[in-house]
Amino acid sequence: MAIELKSQPKTDRRRRRYEDIRDLLPSVADPTPLVRVAQVVPDRRLYLKLEWLNPFGSIKDRAARYLLDGLVERGEIDGRELVEASSGNTAIALAALAALEGLGLAVTIPDGVPQEKQVLLRMLGAEVWATPDDLCPIDHPKDGAIALARSLAASEGGNRYVMPNQYENHDNVRAHYETTGPEIWEQTGGEVRSFYAGFGTCGTITGVGRYLKERDPSIQVVAIEPQPGHRLPGLKSFAEAAEPGILDRSVIDDVVRVDDGPAYDMTLRLHRENGLMVGPSTGAIVHAVQEHASARDELIVGVSPDSGVKYTSYFAEMLGSEGLPTV
Amino acid sequence: MTTTPSDDVAIVATLDTSGLLCPLPVYKAALALQPLASGEVLELICTDPGSLADIPAMVRQRGDELLDTNQTDTTQVFLIRKGASL
Repeated sequence: MAIELKSQPKTDRRRRRYEDIRDLLPSVADPTPLVRVAQVVPDRRLYLKLEWLNPFGSIKDRAARYLLDGLVERGEIDGRELVEASSGNTAIALAALAALEGLGLAVTIPDGVPQEKQVLLRMLGAEVWATPDDLCPIDHPKDGAIALARSLAASEGGNRYVMPNQYENHDNVRAHYETTGPEIWEQTGGEVRSFYAGFGTCGTITGVGRYLKERDPSIQVVAIEPQPGHRLPGLKSFAEAAEPGILDRSVIDDVVRVDDGPAYDMTLRLHRENGLMVGPSTGAIVHAVQEHASARDELIVGVSPDSGVKYTSYFAEMLGSEGLPTV
Repeated sequence: MTTTPSDDVAIVATLDTSGLLCPLPVYKAALALQPLASGEVLELICTDPGSLADIPAMVRQRGDELLDTNQTDTTQVFLIRKGASL
C-alpha cells in the first residue's frame, strides 16, 4: 500500500460521493474545518480544528493511517496481527483501517477509558485488553497499557503481533507534519500566530509545531498538560507517565497545566453556548487558551481531538439529575 | 483438582505463562484468579525472571496470599491463594 499524495480531494465536494471510507481522510485539499469559538471566547480569535469530523471520529485517524501505511511499506507486518496501546482513539481508527486490510488488532487500553470506546473497539472486531495503569507493580508506573502491548509484541518469539507503537514511531509525527500542519497554514492563509494542543503521544504537537515553526519561527506552540491522576483521556501528565520518544520539546514554547474541573466545565460550556459537541480534552485546550493567550487580535488555532459522544458515561456521572424533570 | 505432595494445598486451576514476558503473566494471572472463590489456589507457571518481583507485588496489591514460590533455572512456579476482597 503506497501513501498517496494528500493534495487532491478524492471526490467532487459538491457530490461527496466516495468509493472507499478512507477517501474521507483529510488532506490540504479537503481539510477538517476550523470553526471560531466566538460565543465562549469572544475576546480571542480562537478557531478549533474539528478533528472529530474525520471518518473514524478523531484526530487519531491521521496517525493510524500513517502508522499502518508505514508498517505495510516496510514489510513489517509479515502475516502478524497488530497490537497497540491506546486510550481509544488511535485504536478505533486502527481497528477500522486494519479491518479494511483484513488484519487483526489487539488493543491494550487503560481500564479507566470510558466503556463507549471499549465497546466501539469490540464492535470493530478488535480484542480489547483493559488494564490498570499500574498493572506492572514494579517496572512501569502509570504506563501499564504500553507495557502490556510491548510484552504482547515481544512474547511468543515476536511471531504473533507487530506493534505500530504510536509513542515511538515517527510516522505519527509525519502524519501531522504532512497533513495537520499544512492544513492549518493554508486554512489561515498563514495568519496563524499560535497553536494549542495537548500532550498525549505528542505526534500532533511535534508534527504541527515543527511544520509551523519552519514556516514562521515566531509562531507560538503551546502544549496542554493535565495534572497527575487526571481524568482527561488522550492527554498525559509526564509527572506520572514516561515522555514519548517522538516528543520534540524544541518546537514547544510553553506548557499550560490544566485541572480536570475547569476542563470539564469548559467542555459543557462549548456544548451549551457554542454548539460544539466536543470531548473533555478540547475543554482543557480551550480553557488553556483563555488562561494563557494574551494577544486579543491574533489568530489562534486549537485542536479539538474528538467529540463528546464517546464520553457520555463520564458526563452522566457529572450531571447527576441536571437536565431531568422534577416532580 | 491436583494436590501438591509437599503441603497438601488443593490447586483448583493452573495457568502456564511460559514464553510470556512481564507484565503479561500478571495480567493473565489476574484473569485466572477472577472465577476462583476466596481461598481457592491458583498454580502459576512463569518463565520470565521478572515474575519473581512482579508476581509477589501483584499478590500484595490484590490482597491475595503467596503460599509458595518454587524456582528452577528456567521456571518459576507460584501458588497463589485468592483473597477475600477480590
